[in-house]
Amino acid sequence: MLRARVRFTLLDAAILAGVAVGVAALAVAASTRLDYDWRWGILPQFFLRRDASGGLVPNLLLTGVVSTVRLALWTTLLATLAGAVMGLARTSRRLLPRLVAGAYVESVRNLPPLVLVFLVYYFLSDQVLTALAVEERVRQMPELARSAIGLLLAPPGRLSGFLAALLTLALYEGAYITEMVRAGIQSVERGQRDAAKALGLTRWQATRHVILPQAVRRILPALAGQLISTVKDSAIVAVISVPELTFQALQIMASTGLTFEIWITVMALYFGLCFFASLGARRLETRLARAG
Amino acid sequence: MKRLCTILAALFLLSAWLAAPAAAAESKAQAELVDNSAMAQVLRRGVLRVGMDTFVPWAMPDKNGEWTGFEIEVARRLAEDLKVKVEFVPTAWSGIIPALLTGKFDILIGGMSIRPDRSQKVNFTIPYYTTGTALVASAKVAPDRKSLADFDTPDMVIVSRTGTTAAAAARKHVPHAEHKHFDSEALCTQELLAGRAAAFVGNAPLPAQLAVENPNKLYSPFLGEFTREPIAMAVRKGDVDTLNVLNSWITVVEAEGWFAERKHYWFETKDWEKLIK
Repeated sequence: MLRARVRFTLLDAAILAGVAVGVAALAVAASTRLDYDWRWGILPQFFLRRDASGGLVPNLLLTGVVSTVRLALWTTLLATLAGAVMGLARTSRRLLPRLVAGAYVESVRNLPPLVLVFLVYYFLSDQVLTALAVEERVRQMPELARSAIGLLLAPPGRLSGFLAALLTLALYEGAYITEMVRAGIQSVERGQRDAAKALGLTRWQATRHVILPQAVRRILPALAGQLISTVKDSAIVAVISVPELTFQALQIMASTGLTFEIWITVMALYFGLCFFASLGARRLETRLARAG
Repeated sequence: MKRLCTILAALFLLSAWLAAPAAAAESKAQAELVDNSAMAQVLRRGVLRVGMDTFVPWAMPDKNGEWTGFEIEVARRLAEDLKVKVEFVPTAWSGIIPALLTGKFDILIGGMSIRPDRSQKVNFTIPYYTTGTALVASAKVAPDRKSLADFDTPDMVIVSRTGTTAAAAARKHVPHAEHKHFDSEALCTQELLAGRAAAFVGNAPLPAQLAVENPNKLYSPFLGEFTREPIAMAVRKGDVDTLNVLNSWITVVEAEGWFAERKHYWFETKDWEKLIK
């Protein structure tokens, strides 16, 4: 690909200077007019703290980041599974799978995610998790299995909230991934299927060996974008007290009253997370484009 | 006479025969009741799950990310006396009763005051202390006020935390003011400090502490609290067993003077401040 030569003109300099002045003015206004007692000094200890033996251990904000990433990864995994199944159903020749997948996508996409969180937390997960006695089962597991679950998912006391959050986010993101999968499959030229049929492949063989490999390559960049969305969307589960980044921030804010310091820090953390993820996604995209 | 005796004896036998399975069913039902009580489940599990939400200084995370506060100490002491481990389940205050009813935790120990509308949904223990509602005002927006009545005008914006008794008290005592609710005291304080509200109504001792911390911006128009509220633990309805265990525990610990001593530490000193900042 040819890259156009970038020239730095006077206009660019003027715009940059304007932006710099604007940001500075905003900062001055925030520090003087706001009349706010800035106390950045007590913030670092909420990232890392010294334990009794003097070693550094992660504190609320850092464990919140880990928790957010863990939740986003599990969600993407589950949502991709749901999206793949539902996306295939949505492009099925038969009516029933098409209707089921269509109903799923439409009902989830037309609900605010916040409402979905409460619905799942109070009704769905409550019935399902209680019926399966998930928490009791985990508590009765041997120590090793319990700590593994604690590390990969959440400790037993927090498991029901975590699973409710995971279920909600997976349902929610899954609906969008369903549409990506559908679009990916439908974007493969009609001739490909005809050719596969002419070669004597069954419909399923054609889907598996001809359509899907091409569709997946087109879906992957969008899927990476959805992972970034998931990181951002996961903030809403703070309302059901899942200790992810936003929830931890709210807790620290409630106890210390550092409203602005905490929100600015949280903004930077989410931005950092999502920015690096999108850089990764872009690299994936260019690599796939080169390979294809 | 003889015949009467026979009839009576027959009746007695009949009633004993009828009552026997009833009595058996009754004792079985009782055993089930005991078995299903939250307390039995806690002892079986070895873990007490306590529902709470952040209220300074009732429950809050300390510098190490551990829970601390008056109610946290109460819950820890209770778990210790029951010889079980304690787990805290932080839950948004506005949804804490539904969370108790759907079994997200066993007991609610979160500085909840007894209110008739709440007691229709949950069972309260006997109260273990009382708290009150107090007010702190902005020196810029509403200077030189002396009483609650001075705030009772439509141009006064009063902030309080959603779903708390303080919010209800504010609505009741200053009905003509404009009320705004936020999900945490920190947000209320921010609103007050930014000059977007005239006063903040909250559970004592927080309003008085805020006035001391921000002498240039905030002040206490009058001393003391304008409501008194008994605070108790809450359990799911119909759980007599758990209720009795908790009531007995409260009575014993109260007699020790432990509540009064901890209350002094958390509500009348600020020694705990070094724990959180």
